[in-house]
Amino acid sequence: MMIPLGPQAALATGVLGTLSLGLMRRPPALALRALALVAVVSSMIFAVWAPIGAFPSLIILCDAKSIAWQCLIGLGSLPLALWLDGEDDVLVALFLGATLGMSLLVTAANLPMLFIALEFMSLPAYLLVARSRPGSRGVEAAIKYFFAGGVAGALFLLGLSMYYADTRSLAAAAALSPLGQAGATLMAAAALFKLGAFPLNWWLPDVYEAAAPEVSGFLSTAMKSAAVLFLMRLCELAPQAKFAAYLPAIGAVTALVGSVMALRQERLQRLFAYSSISNAGLLILGVGAWALAGRPADGVIALLFFLVAYALMSNGTFAFIKYAGIETRAQLKGRGAMLFAPSVAFTILLFSLGGVPPTGGFIAKLLLLWRAVDANLLWPAVLGGLSALISLAYYLGMTRELWFEAPQGPEPKPDSGAALVIACAVGVVLLGAAPWLMSSFSGVPTR
Amino acid sequence: MILPLTTLWIVPLIGAAVCSMMGSRSKHAALIFSAAFLAAVGIIGLLQRPTEGLLVINEIGPAWAYGISYRLSADSLSIGLIGLTAFLNLICVIASWELEVSAGYWACFMALSAALTGVFLARDLFFFYIFWEATLVPMFFIIGLWGSSNRLHAAVKFFLFTFLGSVLMLLALLALVSAHHRATGVWTWDLAVLDAGTLGSAAPLVFWGLVLGFAVKIPMVPLHTWLPDAHTEAPAAGSVMLAGVMLKMGVYGLLRVALPLFPILSWDALPILGGLAAFSTIYGALCAMAQTDLKRMIAYSSIAHLGFCLLGVLSRTSQGLTGGALQLVNHGLTTGALFLMVGFLYERSHKRGLSDFGDLASRAPYLAFFFGFSTLASIGLPGLNGFVGEFLSLSGALSALPVLAFAGMFGVTLAAAYALPAFQAVFWAPAGSGSVSAKVTDLNYRERAVLWTLSGLMLWIGLAPRPWLAWFEPALRGLVR
Repeated sequence: MMIPLGPQAALATGVLGTLSLGLMRRPPALALRALALVAVVSSMIFAVWAPIGAFPSLIILCDAKSIAWQCLIGLGSLPLALWLDGEDDVLVALFLGATLGMSLLVTAANLPMLFIALEFMSLPAYLLVARSRPGSRGVEAAIKYFFAGGVAGALFLLGLSMYYADTRSLAAAAALSPLGQAGATLMAAAALFKLGAFPLNWWLPDVYEAAAPEVSGFLSTAMKSAAVLFLMRLCELAPQAKFAAYLPAIGAVTALVGSVMALRQERLQRLFAYSSISNAGLLILGVGAWALAGRPADGVIALLFFLVAYALMSNGTFAFIKYAGIETRAQLKGRGAMLFAPSVAFTILLFSLGGVPPTGGFIAKLLLLWRAVDANLLWPAVLGGLSALISLAYYLGMTRELWFEAPQGPEPKPDSGAALVIACAVGVVLLGAAPWLMSSFSGVPTR
Repeated sequence: MILPLTTLWIVPLIGAAVCSMMGSRSKHAALIFSAAFLAAVGIIGLLQRPTEGLLVINEIGPAWAYGISYRLSADSLSIGLIGLTAFLNLICVIASWELEVSAGYWACFMALSAALTGVFLARDLFFFYIFWEATLVPMFFIIGLWGSSNRLHAAVKFFLFTFLGSVLMLLALLALVSAHHRATGVWTWDLAVLDAGTLGSAAPLVFWGLVLGFAVKIPMVPLHTWLPDAHTEAPAAGSVMLAGVMLKMGVYGLLRVALPLFPILSWDALPILGGLAAFSTIYGALCAMAQTDLKRMIAYSSIAHLGFCLLGVLSRTSQGLTGGALQLVNHGLTTGALFLMVGFLYERSHKRGLSDFGDLASRAPYLAFFFGFSTLASIGLPGLNGFVGEFLSLSGALSALPVLAFAGMFGVTLAAAYALPAFQAVFWAPAGSGSVSAKVTDLNYRERAVLWTLSGLMLWIGLAPRPWLAWFEPALRGLVR
């Protein structure tokens, strides 16, 4: 059964169903949660079944990348789908709406469609941040997020109009005059904004810190994956654009800045926000290497692998923060012995984020930096490796606090979700067995 | 083939898993598995040895993506170092028998041995790197969980510093593999196939990346600053594994990867690398002289000793290479014994400063005897093992670059200048007012058994080094200039 737009249809049905259930005086919580889960899972199933090939309308396209990214977005949003508070039907609808926006973004075939999907994805996300944690901080962060997103949208529109004025095309164009170059650069800036590339990263730590941990996990994985493909689509639509040449440097600097800034953070969510900036930097470096090397398949594989590993690592760490009910690094002290199994899992995730073998995080960094070395981007790769090294300082520091230091403060009152942390750690260890897995990926040279 | 090579690293790994599940009985499991590990090395090393004396056993798995494949090979150098690992692991388990530690302690030691063995076996550079890095994790926990007062700082510093070296090494390996693919169209990580000639003008960059990665581990001055902290803060058995085996990874990496791949570049780099090695021997000895903490002194002496190994290895003469390789084993035995004894002292008195003791010889004659014996072995007294290794390394260096040999000889002299006064201050000098010598009881049977074994080996190598040299020589023959 091959249904075009199946994933989007599943998610849209979820949104509409949630809103309809919300009309009842007391919406059934269990049904809402089940609906969210079914919508996300079926979007992944439909994605695998989707027919490959562009649609005649040239608005939507369905290629190997869009299918892979559709599954990736499902993977990134599954934890939040499992965790959503069923009492709040609006929250469920916003979550499904944002996911629908992402899945439209990965299938958009031309520039206006990219813009619409971008806004479709972003608008529910602002509200999700505001609503996920009661109090003024969430609202403040959401407003900041909204303005940042508005700037990104405006940049994109401006770039789009300049691009159109030059090429008279809303899709791929071969030759670009300086005006078209400027337009393409502005559109890329919008994607970099969404990814939190330096110096466009100022909004991201505030947002990730203010949102509920599980929402930050969702934003840092599903949303980031969609934004990476957004940047890749721009590279494909405007292959002559010069911005691709600057992506490796931007990525390397972003990775370094994120790692260095995370060193001194005391609040865990803020720390992982900077860590996510650092990882976004590596992804941008990967996109740059892919674009400069003539967009080969193994560059896509490297990015995809990184995103899968990161979806597990980031969701797992935010899940641990929620599970342990802690906010600062000081509260981590001595938790290892109290919450043994989830702490072991969290430690594995930290080592994986730091790129220590034999974990999925190591293979992910290896593949990505290798693509960079292969594309003759030696210095960005060295800087990327350096940022991984700096990041180890705080991942090891957290391990130290968790296991080596004496506990302080009251006994923790663990929340639910230990199983999710452990599942993510198991996934990361399995990904670490990548030489076995990698050979089954298509398009990867085996000799 | 009696046993596959994989057994060598799987046995301690299973041991680690079993130890972590056995709770209070885990030390018994650790003992059984370390004995089994040593037996496996013995079987493979002695019984599977082909008649021509050169031991090369290969084990090759299927090729995965990017030419990564599970390839193990062992020659006499690998088996010698794995034997050292297994032996010291068993010694560590027996020496820490009465410590009150959780199951994780024993599991970490077994996991560490598994990873170290993997490093010495891997012929596929991808697996080499994985095992190389995997050694860091158990040692991080050994230092951080069971170390002494400043362990938190030392554990993180140890991990970060050595990881820095590894990242450089990884980038160099990636560049090498990519260049090989570009030139030949074949993806491979096989050390025996990779050709550094494909690198072209990038070869020096890759060579220095590898060398830096190994030099951090050795450690070569000025990349040594992680070592004194890590050695001092680790528990005694942790220091034994750290000094006894983990430092050897750096020299092994040079012998196995950097020198065979870049024979000409490494010869050209001799003045720099050899100069740093000679400087390490002198600098390490001078630093050791200035220490007031026994363990820190031994830690600095390790830097000096590894400098000798390097001088021998870099000289690329037959006697230098075999002497350097033998010195790797020697240093594991003597420094291991010294670290264990400082650990025994610390368990009894919770002190390890040079001025905290005095007149120990009358209270603990066995300890005094073994400490004196190991100190003499460490400073290279003829008839004990240190002399053989240092003599051969220096004579190798003499024929390659005489200046280096003279600098190294100065280091030998300095070794006596720090080790003997320390021995004197702890065991013979009159006890001062703050002395804790009264708390120190003599060694018990278990501790003596451990030290008799180590001392016996030191004496054996010292008196009859020929079979040991003959063991290492075939593996190193190809590196002679």
